[in-house]
Amino acid sequence: MRVREHREELVLRLPVLRAVFSTLLVLVGGAYWFVQVVHGDFYLDLAENNRLRKYPLKAPRGLIRDRVGRLLVRNIPSYDLLMARDLSTDVQGSLTFAAKTLDLPFEELEAVLRSGKSKNQFRPTLLAEDLSLSQVAKFSAQALGHPEFEIEVGHRRLNVQGPNTAHFLGYLREVSAADLARPGTSYRAGDLIGRTGIEEAFDARLRGRDGERVVTVDSRGRPRRETRSKLALPGEDLTLTLDLELQEEAARYFIGRVGAVVALDPKSGEVLTLYSAPSYDPNLFSRRLDYAEWQELLADANHPLQNRSIQSTYSPGSIFKIVVALAGLGEGVIDPVETVRCTGSTKIYGRRFRCWKRAGHGRVNLHKAIKESCDIYFYYLGQTLGIERIARYARILGLGQKVNLDIAGEKAGLIPDIKWKLRARGEPWFPGETISVAIGQGPVLVTPLQLAAMMSTIANGGYRVLPHGLMGSGKTATQPIDLNPAHLARVKRALWSVVNEGGTGASAFVEGLDVVGKTSTVQVIEQKTWVNNRDLPFKQRDHAWFVSFATLGERQLAVAVFVEHGGAGSRVAAPLAKNLYEIYFRDQLALLSP
Amino acid sequence: MLVVALLLALVGLATIHSASSELATDYSPRQALWLGLGLLVFFAAFLFDYQLLTSFGLTIYGGSLVLLILVLLIGKEAGGAQSWLGVGSVRFQPSEFAKIATALLLARYVAGCNRSVLKVNEILVASLIAAIPMALVSLQPDLGGAAMFVPMLAGVLLIAGIQWRLLVTAFVLVLALGAGVWNFAMFDYQKERIKTFVSPDRDPLGAGYQLRQSKIAVGSGRFLGRGYKQGTQSQLRFLPARHTDFILAVLAEEWGFLGVVTVLVLYFVYILNGAQVAMRARDRRGVLLAVGLLSGFSFHVLYNTAMVVGLLPITGIPLPFLSYGGSFILTNFAVTGLILGVDFRRHVNA
Repeated sequence: MRVREHREELVLRLPVLRAVFSTLLVLVGGAYWFVQVVHGDFYLDLAENNRLRKYPLKAPRGLIRDRVGRLLVRNIPSYDLLMARDLSTDVQGSLTFAAKTLDLPFEELEAVLRSGKSKNQFRPTLLAEDLSLSQVAKFSAQALGHPEFEIEVGHRRLNVQGPNTAHFLGYLREVSAADLARPGTSYRAGDLIGRTGIEEAFDARLRGRDGERVVTVDSRGRPRRETRSKLALPGEDLTLTLDLELQEEAARYFIGRVGAVVALDPKSGEVLTLYSAPSYDPNLFSRRLDYAEWQELLADANHPLQNRSIQSTYSPGSIFKIVVALAGLGEGVIDPVETVRCTGSTKIYGRRFRCWKRAGHGRVNLHKAIKESCDIYFYYLGQTLGIERIARYARILGLGQKVNLDIAGEKAGLIPDIKWKLRARGEPWFPGETISVAIGQGPVLVTPLQLAAMMSTIANGGYRVLPHGLMGSGKTATQPIDLNPAHLARVKRALWSVVNEGGTGASAFVEGLDVVGKTSTVQVIEQKTWVNNRDLPFKQRDHAWFVSFATLGERQLAVAVFVEHGGAGSRVAAPLAKNLYEIYFRDQLALLSP
Repeated sequence: MLVVALLLALVGLATIHSASSELATDYSPRQALWLGLGLLVFFAAFLFDYQLLTSFGLTIYGGSLVLLILVLLIGKEAGGAQSWLGVGSVRFQPSEFAKIATALLLARYVAGCNRSVLKVNEILVASLIAAIPMALVSLQPDLGGAAMFVPMLAGVLLIAGIQWRLLVTAFVLVLALGAGVWNFAMFDYQKERIKTFVSPDRDPLGAGYQLRQSKIAVGSGRFLGRGYKQGTQSQLRFLPARHTDFILAVLAEEWGFLGVVTVLVLYFVYILNGAQVAMRARDRRGVLLAVGLLSGFSFHVLYNTAMVVGLLPITGIPLPFLSYGGSFILTNFAVTGLILGVDFRRHVNA
């Protein structure tokens, strides 16, 4: 017989253990109830998202052509590398593989991935763009080992002309958070949107509508079957009013120069040339990733991104004499035959005002004053008119206000008057200031586009022109402005002699063509005496203007050329206008001189 | 109890078939083979007198320790742990064998301490019995496998009688040890798992992937499930380890809450039966052997089910009878055989 065992105590303790296990089992069951029954729909959704992968089918953006159908912007196939982070079990390893294949530094890809992470966790992140075909092949070959990588075949925007048409056509950028937050937006993260120029103005028509491919995938991203796909709707092709040949000539002329040129058809308002120098390569930007070149352009002292033809405002200088002359005629304060004596300088309101010609012009009437750009004549005319009347005529001619080109970003410029002075400076207008304004100095500011439009109005006999860059979108100028056609004709005759009778615009003379124009040389800083411009540092040199139009038969072209710190308008700005006229009227001129 | 075990095993077989049918190899035929072997092991364990077995406890225990050391020296690595021992084409995990050996020796030793409440030195010896194989297993390193020695020891000690004072002291000691292990002995991947468990959305694509996919699988099953072989999480392979440790997630996805409850009820019945056996066992050895084995078993069930639903950090603890795995299946049948063997011998005079 064995010693009595302590067995009963053990057995009595057993229910405790049993209760513990049972309770825990019930708790676990409760957890399953919670996850499966209470939150089941939530997880079912997640499971569906796991399973269905949506691939956007990017709509090809519309092509852009010039007025005769020459291709300006097209799309090229591009292979972009996307990384689905949720499929990568080893992010470091994935990046190492990608860095090796792309021959890029690991840190760079890591930075791209990190910056893309915040956007949307479960959307594949754009890691690299424009892969070569051999790189695409390498990623495809490793698709099983690296299911996280996905090659997206898309379209990249190629501006065929690059810098030549950059400002006019604009470029694309990835949509910003602000674009996406706009109510009713149809943009999605990662989409490209036109940021400037034509690409921006007609983005809605160019972009088309993206489609979508819905694919059931397994955990390795391998497609199993396709469901519910929607085709992409290509964007609309656009034909512009631009004349590529003229545009190219403008770009050529501005090599090494800073400035802008605008050429308009004075009747239809079609923009044939719109160029700003220095330019940039828009193809660098029409991508989704940021590149170093972008930062460089932003930092460039010459501001290449600035579209000087519409976004920069300058003093018109002597060109403003056209406005003052028309005001004088319109207000009846001048008799065209009456003369003023120019001795090189004069004293008005106790202050000395100089003529650009030190020796003086002698006796000048209106015609001669315009032709030789006599300052003294216009000082007196300005004094007689007063600032309010000058301002009124400037506005009639479209200065100091937006032209309403279809491209956005236009500046209004400034035509000063008494009210403006009081509001902006808190001071009354001093009559002495009117004297400066009369020759286009002082606070007068205009854009090259405004002056091109003004010359168009003079060219077409007094109709407001409606400049536009999209073919067929504008109307012929039919709205007459409040000016006497006879006065316009008189000023036009004087401007004709500027070019054709040995005036300041002689270097724009073209045999067989009626070129009508006005030069202007704008002092950047006030000179107390007559100084040779070439002795000044670049940033202090005079700006050069030449605004003009040419007529041959029914055809007309108005051109405004501006060269920043270029020196004399007659020497620097006028030759470009001449080149453009020779190209534009080439066929007709060839008929005239066999 | 055997019926319940077989039911569970069949459910597991079907689920494994579903979980692995998309793979190159269907694991269910192999699992069936293991089940057959398991039955043999069951009968062997059932027929062996547990008195005899526990008497040889020290030898068996020593043998299992030798195997554990061998595995550390010449074992095969799989999934980051060196836990396999191969003899020809047969491979098995000595840690599974060690569990049973430890239960046997614990039962024998603690049964020998014939008093109503254990003395401190007895508790220390018992702890040592569990601690040695535990240390060896954690060296592999297989933390999940090592952890299951703790509930086995705890179950045996609780039933054998332990003073409240000691219980509290032990609890504090475990906490301190845990902090020490966290700081000095844990691998980064293990820390990562625990951190991930605390906040699974911290890194849903890295360490939290398994947890997330498992919860999605379980949740998307909802009440009735998505149907056999219709689970997208498992069929499209979003869920890793789906035929082994996460077999229940597959079942939950395809059979819903109803399926889960069915399985849980089966385990409940198994545990109740096991407890019943322990309560009517003839002697201390019988009681303690059944308790030790049952505690280890219950721990597996509870930990795995809780882990799959996201209540506990992920570690390599499979689900008895359901998960694929040869050694593990054999162990479960051996456990069942031993427990039923204890019951069978309650009327036999020794």
